[in-house]
Amino acid sequence: MTAIVPDTMQGALIVSVIDFFLSFLIISGIGFVLSLFPLLNRAARLIASCRSAPAPVDVKPARGDNPDQVILEDIAALTAAVFVVMNGAAHRIINIEPSQRRASWVAEGRIAQHGSHAPRS
Amino acid sequence: MLDQILVFLRALLDQTGAIHFSFGNLVMIVVGAVMIYLAIAKHYEPLLLIGIGFSCIVANVPGPPDVPGGSAISALLYVVKDGGLFHYAYMGVEKLIIPPLIFLGVGAMTNFGPMIANPRLVILGAGAHLGIFVALILAKLFGFTLSEAGAIGLIGGADGPMAIFVAVKLAPHLLGPISVAAYSYMALMPMIQPPIMKMLTTKAERNIGMAELRQVTKLEKIAFPLVIAIIVNLFFPPVAPLITMLMLGNLLKEVGVTDRLAKTAAGGLMNIIIIILTVAIGSTMAADKFLTFQTVEIVVLGLIAFLFGTASGVVTAKIMNLFLKTKINPLIGSAGIASVPIAARVSHLVAFRENPKNLLIYHAMGPNLAGVFGTAISGGILLALLGAN
Repeated sequence: MTAIVPDTMQGALIVSVIDFFLSFLIISGIGFVLSLFPLLNRAARLIASCRSAPAPVDVKPARGDNPDQVILEDIAALTAAVFVVMNGAAHRIINIEPSQRRASWVAEGRIAQHGSHAPRS
Repeated sequence: MLDQILVFLRALLDQTGAIHFSFGNLVMIVVGAVMIYLAIAKHYEPLLLIGIGFSCIVANVPGPPDVPGGSAISALLYVVKDGGLFHYAYMGVEKLIIPPLIFLGVGAMTNFGPMIANPRLVILGAGAHLGIFVALILAKLFGFTLSEAGAIGLIGGADGPMAIFVAVKLAPHLLGPISVAAYSYMALMPMIQPPIMKMLTTKAERNIGMAELRQVTKLEKIAFPLVIAIIVNLFFPPVAPLITMLMLGNLLKEVGVTDRLAKTAAGGLMNIIIIILTVAIGSTMAADKFLTFQTVEIVVLGLIAFLFGTASGVVTAKIMNLFLKTKINPLIGSAGIASVPIAARVSHLVAFRENPKNLLIYHAMGPNLAGVFGTAISGGILLALLGAN
């Protein structure tokens, strides 16, 4: 193989000077890359805030004397309940609407709720 | 009858190594014993010095001649030559299997947070490596070839596996003295560095306190090994096997879902590798190979490399202070020499003895870790330039 650097004292000096200054240059580059790392945190925070931003809720007005007040309370309670059920995992509430008495899942929910605290013999 | 008994006894004696015992063997046995003493009494790198010292002693107990009438070789080297554990232990070093595995373990036990938290101090990882080049130039002056001089110079990088890696590539015949010098000086750093650090700093400088570093997030710690592995593989293929394994070990530690692997890499695997490495290094210390003028030169050059590396680290920190608004304690400069975490501990202790309220360990770890990369970069450039020599 051809020697890149001559095996002489001059070669030793050249290698040393090149290596020493290149090391400085390259390690400075690594330092620069590391100085950009806080941007990663900022990006992560931005993504997280987008995910946890209040989800758009399609609220249909409830029938009642003061529909706005009732709906806001419902939203708060429902949002909290969903958060607990999801165990803090990222989620979006897409739609909230009044339950229909005849819907089967509504009946199931009522039975489960009533049965959960029924006196046992 | 008596003559026959004497002939038998003589034949029996020839089967042992006792009659081949030389003064050199005695000297090396004392060297091995001193290593074990330093490890036990002074706690200087006991994990390394116990194994190296023990196998150094055994390597210098001569066995029977290899061939009838030939020169005696130690029982340990006999085994090295003929296969078995010692043979494969040495092969592990010679075939460059052990050094990458050491880096895997080191990565799995290292927190790179201090380096990420203060990127300015990374410069010290390059600044503290002047010793490599001083030793390289002096080695050339002593008559070594340029490749040999490069391998000897890298002792000043204070990174055992990297010194072995470069020595195997550039000057495999010098592996024994280079690895022994590198590991011995790393163990002796608490004695070598403080006088130079004190000589180059004033009392006021040694008392400079440093502000608490910012918290490094898990995301940054996960991104770090990935980014560095890409940079090193892209720009430094000669040393990529080592740094890639270092980063893999670190990734296993930081992701938080591979605890079993990280614990194995940093625990059981690392311990096995240390045992194999120390036996392999110690077995190269047979008197006939080790007690040469060349070894003495390498040992002296290694010391010079460490002295200049320490000094240049401190001076680099002082030069940085000329430009920085918030001054840094120049004692952390010497930690840039690598030798994780011994050099950082030395920086901390020198400052602590000056002022018990000045705790520099976390700050010194930054340049200390950067020193590993500084050594790898220097080694990579040497391999790229001298590999063809």
